[in-house]
Amino acid sequence: MRAPQTTPPRLTSAPYLLVAPLALVLVVFFGIPLLLVVIVSFFDLDKFDIIPTFVLTNYSELFGSSLTYALYAKTIKYALIVWAITLVIGFTVSYFLVFHVRNVLWQIALFLLCTVPFWTSNVIRMISWIPFLGRNGLFNQSLMALGLTHRPVEFLLFSDFSVVIAYVHLFSLFMIVPIFNSMARIDRAVIEAAADGGASRFRIITDIVIPLSKTGIALGSIFVIALVMGDFFVVKVMSGGQSASVVAAMSNEIAILQYPPAAANAVCLLVIVTLMVAVIMRVVDVRRELSG
Amino acid sequence: MVTGSPNGRPWTFYALAAFFTLFVLFLYGPMSAIFILSFQGPNGGLTFPMNGVSFHWFAALVAQQRSGDFVGSFGRSITLAALVLVITVVISIMAGLAFRYRFRGATAVFYMAIASLIMPGLLLGLGVGLMFQFAHVPPAWFSSALGAQLTWTLPFGLLIMFAVFSRFNRAYEEAARDLGASQWQTLWHVVLPILLPGIIGVALFGFTLSYDEFPRTLIPIGSRNTLPLEIWAMTTDVTSPALYALGTLTTAVSFVVIALALTSIALIQRRRARRERDRTDRRDGRTGAAPPAASARAGAGPGGQ
Amino acid sequence: MSKKATGARKMTRRQVLKGAVATAAAMAGSRGLGVPTIWAQNIKDIKLVQAGGSYSAIIDIGRQASKDLGFQVEMQTGAHDALLNRFVTQPNSVDIADMEYFFLYQLVPRGVLHSIDLKKYKWWDKVVPIFTKGEYPDGRKVSREGTLPFKVQYVDGPESIHFAKGPTQWATAIPTVYNADTLGMRPDLVKRSIEHWSELLNPEFKGRSAIVDVPSIGIMDAAMAIESRGEIKYGDKGNMTKEEIDKTTKILIDAKKSGQFRAFWTTFDESVNLMAAGEVVIQSMWSPAVTAVRSRGIPCYYVPLKEGYRAWASCIAPMRHLTGLKLDAAYEYLNWYQSGWQGGFIAKQGYYSSVPETARKFMTEDEWGYWYEGKPAKSDIKDPYGNLMEKAGQKRDGGAFWERMGKVACWNTLMDENRYMIRKWNEFIAA
Repeated sequence: MRAPQTTPPRLTSAPYLLVAPLALVLVVFFGIPLLLVVIVSFFDLDKFDIIPTFVLTNYSELFGSSLTYALYAKTIKYALIVWAITLVIGFTVSYFLVFHVRNVLWQIALFLLCTVPFWTSNVIRMISWIPFLGRNGLFNQSLMALGLTHRPVEFLLFSDFSVVIAYVHLFSLFMIVPIFNSMARIDRAVIEAAADGGASRFRIITDIVIPLSKTGIALGSIFVIALVMGDFFVVKVMSGGQSASVVAAMSNEIAILQYPPAAANAVCLLVIVTLMVAVIMRVVDVRRELSG
Repeated sequence: MVTGSPNGRPWTFYALAAFFTLFVLFLYGPMSAIFILSFQGPNGGLTFPMNGVSFHWFAALVAQQRSGDFVGSFGRSITLAALVLVITVVISIMAGLAFRYRFRGATAVFYMAIASLIMPGLLLGLGVGLMFQFAHVPPAWFSSALGAQLTWTLPFGLLIMFAVFSRFNRAYEEAARDLGASQWQTLWHVVLPILLPGIIGVALFGFTLSYDEFPRTLIPIGSRNTLPLEIWAMTTDVTSPALYALGTLTTAVSFVVIALALTSIALIQRRRARRERDRTDRRDGRTGAAPPAASARAGAGPGGQ
Repeated sequence: MSKKATGARKMTRRQVLKGAVATAAAMAGSRGLGVPTIWAQNIKDIKLVQAGGSYSAIIDIGRQASKDLGFQVEMQTGAHDALLNRFVTQPNSVDIADMEYFFLYQLVPRGVLHSIDLKKYKWWDKVVPIFTKGEYPDGRKVSREGTLPFKVQYVDGPESIHFAKGPTQWATAIPTVYNADTLGMRPDLVKRSIEHWSELLNPEFKGRSAIVDVPSIGIMDAAMAIESRGEIKYGDKGNMTKEEIDKTTKILIDAKKSGQFRAFWTTFDESVNLMAAGEVVIQSMWSPAVTAVRSRGIPCYYVPLKEGYRAWASCIAPMRHLTGLKLDAAYEYLNWYQSGWQGGFIAKQGYYSSVPETARKFMTEDEWGYWYEGKPAKSDIKDPYGNLMEKAGQKRDGGAFWERMGKVACWNTLMDENRYMIRKWNEFIAA
């Protein structure tokens, strides 16, 4: 923004050398498997055998089935809800830490407080919700003890509600981290100047804070959407198996070696989520502010 | 600080602080059950009520009985996470630097990283495993599983480097070069130190993402499990609070690692702050457009991620 | 790794594509791979890696085998589906495959297993006839619905990839642990006797019943319940037609929409917790899970039902890539495996051994009476680690070995219409 425009250094081979290791790892460990997946998605499947040929049945079955649309609708619904909630949390928490906590040490300590649970195994963290939300769980018992309800509230566990709760619990940090980082780079002088100039708190947020932290918002959004769209585990456990996601369905196919339909499904998922990211990038180009 | 009287805090402070507190409660609430239940008595189960209090389940972890090879797999997971950390940090920094230039293929590499992030892990692991089978290289946690994990941690590392490098002030580099520093010297003595707290953040991220990784590691693991795989395998059979003891233990380990990382950040910042102060005192004026305090705080702690 | 990478970079795009197609094609069947053989000078240097589920690839068994045999046996536990994928796509990463019988449908035709020469295996005539002949000792035929182990027990020659119709000298695998599964219930909450599988779908237990979320097993439990209600008469529950799958999933979807099921569990823990917490009062369950609920002082009954049990069986087999000394070691290991120590060990967790005769030597008279003969325990029954399993005076649910294994209605399996079944199951879960 305010960084002076300077000419990039002349060494033209530098970026290629610098990006080479990344590209190499991705080509070998992602590119080759991807190629395999794309090829297998055109293979045919017999009773137990995979037949190397070229057929479109995997795709025609995928697009011809109402199940596919139902699964995508469900998964995208989860992704959007979780995205919205984590965005609010991520923005608010970051805003509080950056602009309201005066002492840097306190800032770090509070930030740390948010990160610690993130370090415990996802499996264990997820399981921990079950005794909490269950029919005879801690939450229901407190509700009944307080006389707020006479019967246990059932929708708390094994429902869309519990799935979303677990997602937010597991993924909100992926939103907080980039937003906090972007916000922390905002020059306080700009905000103080605006406040001195009589700008309202709301105007400062909409006109200064949000535009200047949009890189973080975009990155966090990419993380959260990619994580939710790719999940099969949380949805399976937290819905008590009563809800499905795209990848959960795919994992059922892989479990019994039905590679061709699973591969077609994966190709489709990749295209859709990449498009979602492209949309985010259209709104905020996270790469633009790099070559300042 | 934003508005309000010099001494009192604005009402928004209290509202936001309340929000923050609720969020922290939300994070810790269900986990506290784990911590408590890990001290179950020898005959206790995975749910309340407590059946006595003991360290039985912590001992069971080390006993390496039916509850699985937790000791071995824990060691492998830590080592693997450390490897992933180093590789992720180095490659991400390099790639982050590269993306500050405009170069042909930048968009392709960027979207490859994005796609790598999205690729369903099970299939990716399957592909990596097949690749090793055909190359006649035995798959192992430190080779095939490492590669599979990197397709997950590198995109995170790269994107976080975008945030770290975002609006990074080129004036520092210009100044260094004007003073006759070579490109390497500029990078080593100017750019990296400023970004260091952020880089430590990337490292923490790489470590945890690897330590927790499950779907990508599952198939190309070779013949010895990492911790999450061992836990998952055990869930098909044995059920005991040993699992919770493990959770408590990993949290404790996390605390130690985070504490170490934070201490190092704090030390670095203090030293830098002192140096900055000396320099500003000497020059008696403000440096470039970005005040050092702001940039230092920007990279503060894990926030630099 | 890096060699491969640079090699790949030098290749033209066409070559890369060709290679990739070949690699991908190998998912279909990786036969006849030229694998370099590893010759060990000394038996001590040999290490066998057995990969299996955590209920059979138990670390203690590997340790005891290593002690008795003089070479290393290492156990790796894994989730079923991941293991199946590994055996097929990376057969060299494992030495001894430890799996359920129906895996053999996928593994034998792909030629990843070594056919076992029964002349080199000394216990075959002592193995329970369910496996060797597909019969009970009294000559009755065992139910062939699903993967009766006998159906996939033999191949017609060494290194053959075709199953044999009857017994031959060549076995696909050696049977290890097995059991008869049924419904678990909370007698204190149900408060009446349960005799039929149909109770799983009984509206009386609306919101308090559950089934397992493993499609091929869950659908069979559902089929047992549906058949018991008289709604569908299946030709073969282990190999349903498309029409039967349609009808079954429709009934399941209706039941799900009416709120019949509290959950579909995936892990052992989940099933235990659902039951122990009272979220569910009747569900499909593994036998040790019932014991786990009971060991917390919560009543739980593994109820024997009129229609019989859904049985499963595990087996182990050396992988095809083993040769020379390592293969010899594998045979030695197979012989050790059935010599009793392992059988006694797993019996104390509620599973049966395929050579009960040898297992018996490693159990006390009281333990044998409780686990195999259905007699009341004279003293407390403990697991191999000394934890209390059952108090003195208790009898095993369902009774003696042949009372339980003698009433098998169907076997865990993979169906011919798998692809269709998985899609329908996904529809059911998404509904």
